[in-house]
Amino acid sequence: MNIDALVEYISTTPLLWLLITLGSFKLGIIIYEKSNKNTLLQPIIVAYFLIMGALVVSGVSYQEYFKSVEIIHFFLGPATVALALPLYNNLKHIKILFIPILITLFVAGVFSIVLAVSLLWVLGAQLPTILSMTTKSITAPIAIITSEKIGAIPSLAVGFVIITGIIGALLGTTIFKMLNIKHDTSKGFALGVISHGIGTARALEISEKAAAFSALAMGLSGIVTAIFLPLIIQIFS
Amino acid sequence: MLKGIITLLLFQFLGECISKLFDLLVPGPVIGMLLLLVFLIIRKSSFESLDNAVLIHLRYLPLLFIPAAMGIITQLDIITKEFWAISISLVFGTIIALAFCAKLMDYLTIRTENKK
Repeated sequence: MNIDALVEYISTTPLLWLLITLGSFKLGIIIYEKSNKNTLLQPIIVAYFLIMGALVVSGVSYQEYFKSVEIIHFFLGPATVALALPLYNNLKHIKILFIPILITLFVAGVFSIVLAVSLLWVLGAQLPTILSMTTKSITAPIAIITSEKIGAIPSLAVGFVIITGIIGALLGTTIFKMLNIKHDTSKGFALGVISHGIGTARALEISEKAAAFSALAMGLSGIVTAIFLPLIIQIFS
Repeated sequence: MLKGIITLLLFQFLGECISKLFDLLVPGPVIGMLLLLVFLIIRKSSFESLDNAVLIHLRYLPLLFIPAAMGIITQLDIITKEFWAISISLVFGTIIALAFCAKLMDYLTIRTENKK
């Protein structure tokens, strides 16, 4: 037996961390489904704590971990391109309410970013945190690649994206009831603009129409934010 | 499904090339997404192989952000120092923005309907 060769293999192969990452995510999915799709038990959150535990126990640094699983990270690119298809499939709804959609997309999109950023600024947060907050309402793959462009911290940005998604999905229905929102299209659109994919999953429980408008909102706000945000930040800096 | 995967990678490649060539601040994959959207609009439909390739990418989408998300363990310093600012901004920012967005969309929808 050659123990040294085995240890050498295990400590250098990317397979180990790929297996831990995929396995943790699969476990996350199983727990999420067993919990009747509890919003707080998103598969990625369960996976996150499992992988963090493995990293802490093994003493492997984040840089080493990232190198092992970089192939997963690579697929963010094609996945972002893939978002064109659900957007295309829901594009027909844009005609029904073109003006409300256009105005809400821009006004609410800007309002949401300005509000979150001002709150951070007033409470004394530093610039990297503030920049990482600007992509909080767009779908995570676009948020990651956009945050890399604007000098934000991608990992913080993803964290903010996921938490924003969960808060919107948890409180959306209560907020809509309190404000007496009449149309499912408005509920879905708001969930998509503010809470991206997690909000869209929630909108599916309201109605099919709400889900369609949520998917539409998520695609449009992702594109609009990725185009204008880097420009605006460049002008200010 | 190969044709679908090639389509996604090709559009990403085109998007990245355009982003580099014109020094754009828009990330390449987002340009690729826009190009694919325009392609689908012109073509007037998707095709099965693309549908399958898209499904496989989007079905496990959250898995793809785990490598980036794990980086939070290197940011614990910022998170502990700015915990309250971040929490308040996330919670209140999201609640108020969601309420504003839904109300605005509802108001504009009702106004559009009344005009008709």
